[in-house]
Parts: sequence; C-alpha cells; structure tokens
Amino acid sequence: MAWSWILLLLATYPWLLGADLISDTLASSTVVIFVTGTCLIAPCRRLPRWQCVLFAAGAGFLFEARRPIPDGLLALSLVAATITLSSGGPLLRSTLRRFLAATTINLGACLVWYLGAAYASPAPAENLLIQMFPQLLLAALVGAASLIPIALTQNAVMDRLGIAPPPEMT
Amino acid sequence: MRQKHSGARASYVLLAIFVALWVLLPSAVRRFNREAFAEFQAPALHLIGKSRDLATFWEKQSRSSSEMSAAGRDLARINAALELKLGAMEDIRRENVRLREITRYGAPPEYLSIVARVATRDSAAWWQRIVLRKGRNDGIRPGAPVVFGDTVVGRVTAVHLTTSEVDLVTSPGFRCTAYLEGDDANRIVLINGVAAQSLGTARARVSVIPYDFNLPAGQPARVFTTGMGGVFPSRLTLGVLDGGTFATQVGAFRESFLLPSRNLYNLQEVSVLVPIQQTPGEALIQADLFQ
Repeated sequence: MAWSWILLLLATYPWLLGADLISDTLASSTVVIFVTGTCLIAPCRRLPRWQCVLFAAGAGFLFEARRPIPDGLLALSLVAATITLSSGGPLLRSTLRRFLAATTINLGACLVWYLGAAYASPAPAENLLIQMFPQLLLAALVGAASLIPIALTQNAVMDRLGIAPPPEMT
Repeated sequence: MRQKHSGARASYVLLAIFVALWVLLPSAVRRFNREAFAEFQAPALHLIGKSRDLATFWEKQSRSSSEMSAAGRDLARINAALELKLGAMEDIRRENVRLREITRYGAPPEYLSIVARVATRDSAAWWQRIVLRKGRNDGIRPGAPVVFGDTVVGRVTAVHLTTSEVDLVTSPGFRCTAYLEGDDANRIVLINGVAAQSLGTARARVSVIPYDFNLPAGQPARVFTTGMGGVFPSRLTLGVLDGGTFATQVGAFRESFLLPSRNLYNLQEVSVLVPIQQTPGEALIQADLFQ
C-alpha cells in the first residue's frame, strides 16, 4: 500500500512524543531523549525502500521542526542511513545486529543534529567534545533500550497493513 | 542481491541530486516545510498542556473545603493590599506622564500583555526553549519579551498559528543589556546565553562588568534589564550573579555567570508582552526570517 509509510509514521509518532515528554521532564538537565534513529530499524526490514526513505524524512523533519537545527540536515542524514540499511545486505539479519544498528544510527543522527545546532548557534563552542559526550552516550543507550518496544509497535502496525514479513522470516 | 545494491547506488545518486536541489531551493520552501511539520505537531502539544491542566484541576479538587477557604481568605487579604498599591502606582504614572510632557521625553513602548500556558519545555546544550499554547492567532509576534511577574523568562523566537517558541534567558541565542544591583553609576553589562554542557545546568554569561564594581555584601547581586534596545521594559529582573566575578583574557573587564531568578523549567504560565507598535528590534527579526 502506497500510504503505509505515513500510517506507520503516525503510529510511531506517540513514541517520538513520549521521548519529547521525557525530555520535558528532564529539561533542567539540558539533555534530549532522542529515539528518531531507532524508529528506522523495523521499517527498513519490511517496507519498500522508497517508503522507508519517506518515513525517515518525515521522522527527521518532525524532530527538526521545533528546534534550531539547519533545515533538512537531520532528515537527509536519516534518508542516507535508510538507504544503507535497506540495501539488502546482512545488516539487520540478527537481533544483535539490529541492536547494533539502532545504537549506531541513533548515535550518528544525534551527532549530526548536535553539530548542526552548534554550527547554527550564535554562541561559540567551548570544549565541544566534553559538552556533547553525555548527550551522545545517552542517545546510544536510549537507542538500544527503546528498540524492542518501538519495533513491536511498528511490526504490529505493518502486520495490520498486510506488509510482508522480512525475507529471513519467510 | 546485486539488483538491490545497484538500486541503492541509484538511491544515493538521487539523494545527492535532492540535497543539491534542497540547498538551491528558495528559503521560503524550506520555511514552509518547517512550518508544516511544526503545525502538524501543534495539536499534540495542546493535548499535553491540557492534560497537565486537567491533572492540576483534579489535584485541586481533591483539597478539602477548609483548605480552599483559607487560601481564598489569604488571597482576599493580598488583593486588598494590592488595591492600595494600585492607587499609589496610578498617582506615580500620572506624575511620570506630566514630567515626560514637560521635558518632552519620548514615551516608553507600551505593551499588550497576553497570558499563555506552557505546553512543553525543551532543553539541550544548544537551545533552551519553552513552547506556549498561544500563537499568531492570539496576536503573539516574534521578538516579543516573555515575563513571569517582574522576571524575564525569555523572548519569542518563532510563532506558529496556535503555538509559539520562546528562547529562555540561558539559551545561546539570547542577548540583552542589563544593570547590576549595587552599581550606582548604572553602567551597562551584556547578557549572553552560552552553550550548556549536556547533563549540566544552563546559565548565561554576564560580560563587560567594570573592574571597580564591588559585589553587594552578604547577598548575590541582582541583574536588571536596562530598557534600552526597545525589547524589554526597564527594571525587570533577569536573575542574580552566580558566585563572584572573574577576570577575562582581554583584561579591561570582568565576567560572571547569571543564574535565572526563577526555575525556568517549572513555569506553568507566562505573560508575553507584545509591543502595541512594532519596535525596531522586531522589524530586524522579521527581516531575518524573510531572508
């Protein structure tokens, strides 16, 4: 179904909103709970590539819309990651590899928006590595921890939409 | 497998073409895209804010009637005291207007106060923001100062139809001029938000502090707005100096950090002061947005 990606994005949105709510609660500690990268793993296994690309762009733009990050930077980076993930290699075959992919993509995407925001900000960066290390570490941990609940939700929605299971399961 | 790999190569080429197009596109297209995604999320943000209000309502409903009547009595006393103060303030206002007319001194900008509830807070090293549940439809404009009582919260940076985003005092994009308590010469200092360390506390930097400025004994020095620049009204509290002052490499001045006077991340409601007539600062922000 051509609209599967948008229905999946709507089904994933509560997770993105939930992450924003946790960030809201932790606002005084200046960290963002970031899960957008993890949300790409399950769709990349089952959706056709062009739908994955639209899903990744939508998720990226949703994160960027309310934050001072250069337009399209995160969304287009996520699209590039999606093309790699959905290229049919053994990247997402086993559970361990999926965890590794979720951690890597979430961390990489976090690094992209962090550097993008630093570039766009009028304030100079002082000790950039030390500044961003806790945020990146958190993104990697959250990426791994949130993979199973997010993937379960997304797989349930894709089952309902009648999307074929990934090749290794058939 | 080979077919999939060649498909991936074609996708990368298409992505590269799209990135080039994206960079070359007029900024209006990118702005429209950003606005569309922000508006898409607005109903969810309103829902979150209203759920919080409902929780607060039920929490208050659970209080006993004697507790509520005691709170009502206290409020009535405070109201009576404030009414007396209102009368005195009105006298001062008339005197001020009369003196301004005599000296032909320009009137300060007048503001329309719009009370708005906070929907969400968002804070990272490079931004500290709150989202308000009022926007363009309610008359909020970019650049308008946001206050809580006599305390500066921040400044409106982006306005959508029903929501608006406010950069807090500690946000790296925030700048204003200020006076320090205890400096009788009223010399101007600069306030800049700085990039916070992740998992750290966000603070702003106070720079251009004169070398001969002495901190008031026994209490932290308060920092006030100057009213210059036409954005913030004068004598609003920005916060207090965090600790002492330290020398800079330049040598002519000292610096310190500003600790916002209210916990900016616990605010439920703020006032947006929308200038009745457009200020020069606002016009500059709108020009920036246009570009």
